[in-house]
Order: sequence, then C-alpha cells, then structure tokens
Amino acid sequence: MGISRREFLKRGALMTGALGMLSNVELYGLEKRPPGWKGRERVDEIPSICEICFWRCGILGNVDRRGRLLKIDGNPAHPLSQGRLCARGNAGHKLLYDPDRLKYPLMRAGERGEGKFKRVSWEEALDFMAEKLSEIKFQHGPEAVGFFPHGIHARFFSHLMKAYGTPNSVEPAFAQCRGPRDVGYKLTFGNSVGSPEPLDFKKTKLMVFIGTHVGENVFTGQVLQFAEALERGAKLIVVDPRFSMAASKADWWLPVKPGTDTALLLAWINVLISENLYDRDYVRKLTIGFDQLKKHVRNFTPEWASEITEIPAEKIRETARMMGKLKPAVGVHPGRHVTWYGTDSQRARAMAILTALLGSYGRPGGIYLSSSIPAPKFPSAAYPKRPPRADGAGSLYPLGSTGLGVTNGLVDATLNEDPYPIKSWIVYGQNVIQSIPCPEKTKRAIEKLDFMAVIDVLPTEQTMYADLVLPEATYLERFDDLLTVKNAHKPFAALRQPVVNPLFESKPGWWIAKELAKRLKLQDYFQWETPEEYLEHRLSGLGVSLEKMEADGIAEYDRGTPYYDFSKPIKFKTPSGKIELYSEKLKKLGFDPMPVYEAVEEPPKGYFRLLYGRSPLHSFARTQNNEILNAYMPENTVWLNALIAKELNLQDGEYVTLENQAGVISNRVRLQVTHGIRGDCVFMVHGFGQRSPFLEKAYHKGASDTYLMSRVNVDPISGGTGMRVNFVRLVKDGVPLMISGAVEIYQPAENGTQPAKKQPVKRAAQPVEAGDEEEGC
Amino acid sequence: MPRYAMVIDLRKCVGCDACTVACRTEWDVPLGHSRTWVNHTGVEGQFPDLISSPFVAQCNHCDSPSCIPPCPTGATFQLDNGIVKVDPKLCIGCGFCVEACPYDARYINPVTKKVDKCDFCEDRLEKGLQPACVVTCTANAKFFGDLEDKNSVVYQKVFGEGAWRMENENAAIGPNVYYLGKEKQLELVRQKFGPRKPRFATPAKFWSTILRPFIFFAVGATFIGQAIAFFNQVRKGEDPFND
Repeated sequence: MGISRREFLKRGALMTGALGMLSNVELYGLEKRPPGWKGRERVDEIPSICEICFWRCGILGNVDRRGRLLKIDGNPAHPLSQGRLCARGNAGHKLLYDPDRLKYPLMRAGERGEGKFKRVSWEEALDFMAEKLSEIKFQHGPEAVGFFPHGIHARFFSHLMKAYGTPNSVEPAFAQCRGPRDVGYKLTFGNSVGSPEPLDFKKTKLMVFIGTHVGENVFTGQVLQFAEALERGAKLIVVDPRFSMAASKADWWLPVKPGTDTALLLAWINVLISENLYDRDYVRKLTIGFDQLKKHVRNFTPEWASEITEIPAEKIRETARMMGKLKPAVGVHPGRHVTWYGTDSQRARAMAILTALLGSYGRPGGIYLSSSIPAPKFPSAAYPKRPPRADGAGSLYPLGSTGLGVTNGLVDATLNEDPYPIKSWIVYGQNVIQSIPCPEKTKRAIEKLDFMAVIDVLPTEQTMYADLVLPEATYLERFDDLLTVKNAHKPFAALRQPVVNPLFESKPGWWIAKELAKRLKLQDYFQWETPEEYLEHRLSGLGVSLEKMEADGIAEYDRGTPYYDFSKPIKFKTPSGKIELYSEKLKKLGFDPMPVYEAVEEPPKGYFRLLYGRSPLHSFARTQNNEILNAYMPENTVWLNALIAKELNLQDGEYVTLENQAGVISNRVRLQVTHGIRGDCVFMVHGFGQRSPFLEKAYHKGASDTYLMSRVNVDPISGGTGMRVNFVRLVKDGVPLMISGAVEIYQPAENGTQPAKKQPVKRAAQPVEAGDEEEGC
Repeated sequence: MPRYAMVIDLRKCVGCDACTVACRTEWDVPLGHSRTWVNHTGVEGQFPDLISSPFVAQCNHCDSPSCIPPCPTGATFQLDNGIVKVDPKLCIGCGFCVEACPYDARYINPVTKKVDKCDFCEDRLEKGLQPACVVTCTANAKFFGDLEDKNSVVYQKVFGEGAWRMENENAAIGPNVYYLGKEKQLELVRQKFGPRKPRFATPAKFWSTILRPFIFFAVGATFIGQAIAFFNQVRKGEDPFND
C-alpha cells in the first residue's frame, strides 16, 4: 500500500490549508470586506443643506441606484461646516424614513385635541383651506389670519400670506430667542447681530461666553471654529451657573448667580474705564456717550457686583484685566437664545457696550462685519397695503420686530380679541406648543379660532388641535428658496435640492403655496412655473447657473475685507451716526439710556430656578422621535446640585417630578446629581415630555420644560418672553421634598424684588414698515 | 509599509457623538452596539474647582493585540499596516476575541452573528478617503495617518506633542489610538475608562496555549512524515500511478 500522487497532493493541500488557518494569516482570495459598507452601493452624491436645525450645514446625500438614501455626509464646499456634520445631521435619514411622519393630508374628524382625523386628497384639502381663508378675509379682513412660519422654506408661504394681506406673521426666532440681543446691538451699533454670530474665532485671543454653551449647543461650523481657536491658544471665559462642556474647557469659569449677569457686565465696564484698559482711540473716534457712561458706572465696582453675582471680586477684576490686555482681539459672544428674565434687551446693551469699549466691533478677533449678497427677488405683483399688526410689534413693544413679529403678542391678541379678533392660525414649520412658553394659554387661544392649519413634517402635539394637517416633504425631498449667509468671511449662497423623491403624498412647500395661490386668485404673485426657474433667477445676482449650484451646492461671494477700514470715514446706522454707548432713542421711549442692574425675583427656599438648554444629540423638539437620536438619548434629565441632593436624600438616576410655583406638575424625569450646577437652580434639556401619541418614540419620554413655564417676564422693549422666571421643587412619590427652612406654598415676592414694570402702551395701530426683511432662523 | 494610527484631541472634542452616528451609518452598526463610542467622565471635584471630560474610543489596532491568539478559526488577523480585521466568512461568533479585548472594542452583530469592530475604514482608505469619523468630527479633534510618515499629522502629534497611550496595569499592549489632553483630564479618563484585564475563557486559553500548538505540531509532523513516505516510495521505484 502506498500513497498515490493524487492522494499526497490532496492531503498536502488540506494540511497546508489547516496550518494556514491556524496561523491567522490573510488567505489569498477570501472575501475581506464585512458586509454593509455603504460606499459600494453609492451611485450619486447630491449636495444640499441640512434642516435638522436652522444652521443648515452643507450635506451630500449618498443615494443608491434605486434612489434610496444610504448616508448623509457633510459637504466639504460649505465654508462654515467644511464637510463636517453633527450627530443630528448624520441621523437625518431617520427623519426621512421615520414611520411616524406625516404622509397624507388630514382633516379633523373629532374634537380639537382628540387627534381624530380622516384622510383626504390634496385637492379636497387645498380647496377647503382656500375656502376658509376666503371666508375669513370676507368676514373679518385678511388681518384675522395669524401666520406662524419658520425656515427658508417658509418664504414661499410668507410671500403668499403677504399677498393675501395679513400683517400678522410671527416667528419665535425673535421673541423666544434672539430678539432682545438684536435690539440691544442694533441700538448700539446700528446693526443687529444676525446669523451665525459673527465672532471672529479665527483671530480671537479671548472668547467671552455669557451663558453660551457651545459643545452642547452644537452648530457644526461654530464648534469647529471654537475648537480651532482653543487649539491656537485662545483663552476662554465662561459665565454660566452650570459647568457646561464649554465651561469645562474654560480658563475662567464664573458660576454666576442666575439673573445677575448684567451686574457682572457693568462691573467689567467699570474696571475697563477706571483702569484705563479700554480702547481709547476707537472709543474717541467712533462712539458717543462715553462721558455719561463713565459717570454711570462709577459705583458699579467689582465689590458691588460680587455681592450680587456671588463671583469673587478678584475674579471679576482678573477677567476684566485680561480683556483689557488682549483687546481688540476679544470676542464677546453676543449669545443666541437670550430671552431669560425680561431684562434682556438691556443686558444685550451691556454686552454691546463692552464690545465697543474693547474696540472689537469690526476688528480682527472680535466681531467681523456682515455683508449682503446679491440675490434678486423673483418679479411679482406688489403686495396690497396691509392693516396694522395685532401682536404689538412696534407699538406695545416699541422695538419688537415688525419683520419677525412677537409670537406671544399674537397669542395674546387671539385670546383677548384685542385689537381685533384673530380667526385663523396657519402654522408652517413651527411647533407653537413647545416653543412658546405658557402652552396652556396657547391652547386656550387656539380654541378661539375658526380655522387652524398645520403644515409640517411630523405629527407634533399641535396637529391634534388643527382642522387641517398638510404633510410637507422633508428637507431631503424638496427644493427651497436660496439660502444666503451674510455672516461669514466670505458670504455665500447655498442650495437645497431634492436628494430623493418625496415619499407618500408629501409635497414641497413651494408647491403647496402655489396651489393655494391659484385657488385664492393670487397667481400673479407666483409668476414662475418651476422652482428651478425661480432659483435660476435668484442665482442670477451671483452669476452662477442652477446647474453649477446643483453640482457644487455652494457659491461664495467675495466682498473684500470683513473689518473696518479706518482710513475711510465710518458711519453707523444709529441716530447719531456713531456707536451709541448712551442711547437717546431708548431714553425717548421711556427706558434707561444706559443699562442698569435690575434684580429679578429669587426662588424661595425649597424651590429652584428652572434653567434649560441644549444637547448635542437633539434639536429643540424636532428629533426626539428620530430612531438613532432617540436610542442615544430617549429622555432628558434634571441636573441637581449634589449637596442639595444629599440633603434631600436623592440618588443620581432616581426619578422625580417637578412642581412649579403655580402647581404645574411635570412628567417624571431622571435626576442627574452633580457638583456642576449651583444649588439655586436646576437644568433640563429642552424639547422632551412630548404629548403627541403619534410620535411613538418620543411620547411621554422625559419632562417638558415648556409646560413648566407657566409664566414669563416680558421684556418691555422688545416683547421677548423671559422664560427663566419659573421655580420648581422636587416631588417624589407625590410628596414635595422640603429643604430645611423651605416654604410650604409659593408666594410671589411683595417687597420690591420685582423689576419696575412699565405701563403698557395702549395698542396704537401702526402702519407696517416697508421693507421688513429681517431674516428669521 | 504604513503603520496606521489615530490621535484624538480631548481638549477640542466636545463629545457630540457626530463620529459615532457617522460610523454607525457608514457600516450599518446596529443600535445597542458600537464600532466607536463616546463616554463622559461626569463632573468631578468640589464646586467650583471642577473637571469633566468627554472620551471617545474604538478598536486601537494594538501593537500586540490580545484578541488574535484566542481566535479558533483564524478569522481575525492583523495586516502589515497595523489594521486588525475580522473576516466574517471564517468567524463562528464564539466571542473569545470579544472577551480578550481589554478595551471592549468588539461586539457580536445580533443579525449576522459575527464579530465586528472598527477597521479604520479600510475600504475608504483604499479609495483615498479618511475614516468616516475623522471626516465628520465637528471639532476637528480626530486625526488619522501613518506613523511611519514623518510628515503626517499623527507622527507630529505622537512624537512631537507627546500624544498619550491609554494603558494601565491591566493592559499595555500598544494601542494605536493616541490621546491629547490636559494632564488632569488624561488622568481622569484613564481612571474612569482605562482598559480592563483581557479575559481568556478556559476553552480560549486551552485553545491558544495547548490545543492549537499541538495541532500545528501534529499536522506538521504528519505532513512531513507523509512526504518522507511518498518520496521513499518513489525512491524504491513503486509505481506512483498505481492507485
């Protein structure tokens, strides 16, 4: 017996194979790639812009041959985000493929709030809406329609509503967000701040954040510039009652007592002036009111501020001196959401004045200048003359924006039928219940309406109150108006174009607006046939074809230097033509011409001030139903000071409910016990505790900060709703937890800790100013 | 031959999870598992002297991976460029490697039942692209490149800036994901997220220390013995074609 050659070779091969396997070497020809790399199926990369939040970073939609979206990447051509994209943008495909999204037009089939609907055709839905709008116009006038838009996609609708003739367009961007900031800076410099905040991160030597929490508040472009500035050695001062992500990277963290930031700002101004650390040349050449300011702040010493803010006086001096040393390359971040206490326009004034004293406005490392971009409007019939506004912008709130409106003012007007009845709300891309404080009031106002239409992508709580719900296509499925970004070293235009075809029966906003226009006999306002035609015209100012835009996604505009040229005369759009440290305009309106510290009511013992903010995993109340983002963070937590928790015998991770000063009780919410927050406040991420059962993943997860905001302090100058004036105590198993010395029941303070309230001016009907082209979010 | 490595700058990182979501989407990583993940130390210290840090980790493609020896089928191996890979065709999902990794960088995909982990986006590298997590990082805090290339950013950060390896008394196997951070920050993340001891289940230990070497020896010996017998046949003139 022997071994045949064949047998030998066979056995040899087997043994070699076995040895090879045992040796963990890569064998020739075996499949190396794990299944699932999207890159292999990718056939097309379509540039567009995100809309998970309003920063609209550039994206590339990767689609396969069937037109399915595989993955969203950042678009490297986008000057701000530079090809990068945050967690929410990266999870955008889960909005597109969210099983709970709105799919068909729906008409209410039960009581308001019941959430019973019947599906109707677009034809029927649009006919119904046009009929209602015509009816209301005939019986009550076009001003009886309140319009709640949001986003660049809303422009088609805003245009339609102006053509229809209502003046009452209101966006939360002003009165629930940055309004007071823009008012304060506009009074000082003649320009509001705009978007994004034009802080010159690239050249700054010192960043100063008042409450700004970049890193949890994630706008890709800003996080990038912030991180690069830190890498280059820029220093950072963070003023925040909470040890935020930004605070963890700060050279100075000032855990300011909530409500007292203005005192700190005034003390900084005091040090800069008294120690001659301000930019004397700049101040002399470009500002007025310095002598009044110097006199005004002479008693606002660090010692004075220290008692109020609970920040040591040496720290106040140290940080002021550092600003003085590193000026003008000091970037005082103007903030974004600033509607905190109802004293916010004046706090913004203090920040603007500080910026001016440092000579950093229009200088490298400070605040650079914005520049508009030529993007001509499509020719259209002229708007009819619109009746006076009902929301108080320009009247009750003298510096309230007549472009963006005062949302809460319109809610009040609807509820009180003052100055006239509002019979209809058209809500386009806003979440009126989650974004406007005092949601119960909003719901009572809705009861006054004859007709409420909601045009949206997701069935949020407000859809349960609507008479008509129209499913808009998501940002990944549609063209929108051109995005123009003024605040960039090189301002640019960006295109939103469809990455995939609209799913179900969802339609883009431009189509809905055009179809409604036809039925309302307003076709003259929509003289373009296709969005491509419209966009081609908008792009003509930049000399870029739509075809090129569709390929690149971005077109930059070279506007020269973003800083002031001091060899030329510089004029500011203020009454005096100079930077106004002292504001005569404010004085004439009956307000303090220079900011003073106005104390806010403090929470009584046992109660904590409710603070709120952002998480990098969620955007407002939009993303809580997103499969990926929900898996990462299904609920919010409430941050509680560790020493307080110890006293109350509470553990990290336990569930409690929160009860506010009016007895409003929240959902149960998980505790995050930490040393990283002061003992007089608690903090929650906004947007949870959602009540729409149609959003299955988000339903009742976490607690709603909005519902706990049953009162606001309205800033009399701008109309902005100060929301950080609600106090909560912790309730466990139905029993309120008492700190030693705590009050039993909340009583509003009587002894003058309230800010002096101005008497509201009777709503005088004011004509709508022409050219209110303020940009929303 | 390149030697791939990554450097993560925790001074820039804000723990935003952009990288983990991009990775998950790029590679179909099921929810509940990760190829890369973000942790937070939480706030430490006494008010107001506080410290906290994000921490991002993934497979470290170590110099001496502890995950390779226990693999019974040879499904996991290391390339010359340092990338440690898993071949799903050979993987039997036994999980020995998952236990052996001190960084818990591997997971068993509940759908495919195979082991998966970061592979430095090898497919993207071949197309001249950077790893997906690096490209999307909102803070530009992740850097990737070749440690053999003196001009690469990772070389500069490792050898120029002294980027730090996440090692401790449990495991010092030469991870090739390095970190930059403030001193106290690195101390804190090492304390909270440092590697554990690699775990070798008895079958795995038995396999890698006794059974595999034995089989190697036995197969090798049989092979040689058979070859000798065959050539003896030929030498003795017996007809090799006579089956």
